[in-house]
Amino acid sequence: MEPEISNQSLLFLVVFVLIPLSLSYFYQLGLNKNIIWSSLRGTVQLFAIGYLLTYLFELPAIIGIPFMISIMLTVAAFHARKKGKGLPNVLLYIFIGLLVIEVSVLGLWLIFDMVAFTPSEVIPMSGMVIGNSMVAMGLALERMKNEFKENNGRLLAALSLGAKPSVASKLIVQKTLNAALIPNVDQLKTIGLVQLPGMMTGLILGGVAPVTAIKYQLVISISIFSSVSLSAMFITLAMYRYFFNEQGQLVDSEEEIRSEA
Amino acid sequence: MFRFEQVSRYPLKKMDFQIEKKEKVILFGPSGSGKSTILFLFNRLHNPTEGTIYFEGQNVKEYPFTELRKRVGLVLQEPNLFPGTVLDNIKYGPSLFGEWKEEDGELLMGYVQLPSTYLNRDVEQLSGGEKQRVSLARTLANQPEVLLLDEPTSALDYRTAEDIEEVLEQLINQHELTMIMVTHDMRQARRLGSRGLFITEGEVMEDGKLPDMLDSPASQALKEFLEE
Repeated sequence: MEPEISNQSLLFLVVFVLIPLSLSYFYQLGLNKNIIWSSLRGTVQLFAIGYLLTYLFELPAIIGIPFMISIMLTVAAFHARKKGKGLPNVLLYIFIGLLVIEVSVLGLWLIFDMVAFTPSEVIPMSGMVIGNSMVAMGLALERMKNEFKENNGRLLAALSLGAKPSVASKLIVQKTLNAALIPNVDQLKTIGLVQLPGMMTGLILGGVAPVTAIKYQLVISISIFSSVSLSAMFITLAMYRYFFNEQGQLVDSEEEIRSEA
Repeated sequence: MFRFEQVSRYPLKKMDFQIEKKEKVILFGPSGSGKSTILFLFNRLHNPTEGTIYFEGQNVKEYPFTELRKRVGLVLQEPNLFPGTVLDNIKYGPSLFGEWKEEDGELLMGYVQLPSTYLNRDVEQLSGGEKQRVSLARTLANQPEVLLLDEPTSALDYRTAEDIEEVLEQLINQHELTMIMVTHDMRQARRLGSRGLFITEGEVMEDGKLPDMLDSPASQALKEFLEE
């Protein structure tokens, strides 16, 4: 028998939403609207995607997979762009980065016969790779902006000693990559010990044998690990130079002065 | 050595002045008058919005910025040391140009009167004064012809500031450097400077010999500034 949650049971999820909602109400956190909106939005999105996936899974792979992956890439790129607000061409860089990573990972899965080219396998797994890469790019962009602000003095010192922007920003690039990769490294270290990863849990709940589920989990975990590393590295190396101009001057400090004017 | 021709950049307004080799120039004036901006213009950490700056008769824009900055060293108000050891910091500049020699470490420590045992010390373990000395040594490691100093002792206590002043005085005289320094400390200006540029509201209000211009200020603005 296929395990299934009844619609009535699902309705009781409202209780889980009421808990943070009452906390927000009593402590006046001002999150009420946000909690209700995100819960409703999440529910609608998931049902919509459920129906869409059912439809896509029935389509020929060659149509369903590229269609869904294009949607995922576009949504992910627009979402990650918010963290890089103000940086030129950031949307394009994010989109290209995600596209190259997704195509490479998918290519390797297919070449080494880890995943079958069917929508039911490729779409959920690609979603995990794209989603995690999107988060990594967003984190890297946010961190990089902060690091440039916080290390303004050190950057000026390095530039004033004759360093080119690529050398002066080495420290920033290192710190950014570290910050973007550490959560992922930690997650990989404790995988299966602290929490059973989502995909494996899903497969086990769906009736798949744990060892088979683990194999899929390994494929996705390692793929995510490498795509997250690549995403953070790609976006950091692509964007750091926009903090400088061609004369090796910090663009940020120039803007500050202009805004004072 | 340096010539400013009609140079402006907020908050500076059309500046014209010249600085000769080996001069010891003090830039002083009220906060926000543009003194640090002038310093940053010398080594092209900023560009003027109008006008031209000449270094050794040549527009600064014609120099590769890395070469100009090597020749025109800057010490900032905060030491802004890089993570790592003292040695990592002082070899930073010369290593960029493939000019670092191991024996220079001891020599540079000597210049800023720190023991050479400090070379392998983590910069996090240093006091404020020691950090500023390392910052100075890091700039000197590039063997600059001009030393730009942006209030290098303002973040230090009086005693430590005096020690750094002494180091600076010796270094500038010994190496015959051209010095351009921003300071709010008129005692320091008298001690280290030979010429003063009083900057107010983005303009050079007075340009004269030190300490004479402080003893008998020509303008009312300078009088008022000194009385504050």
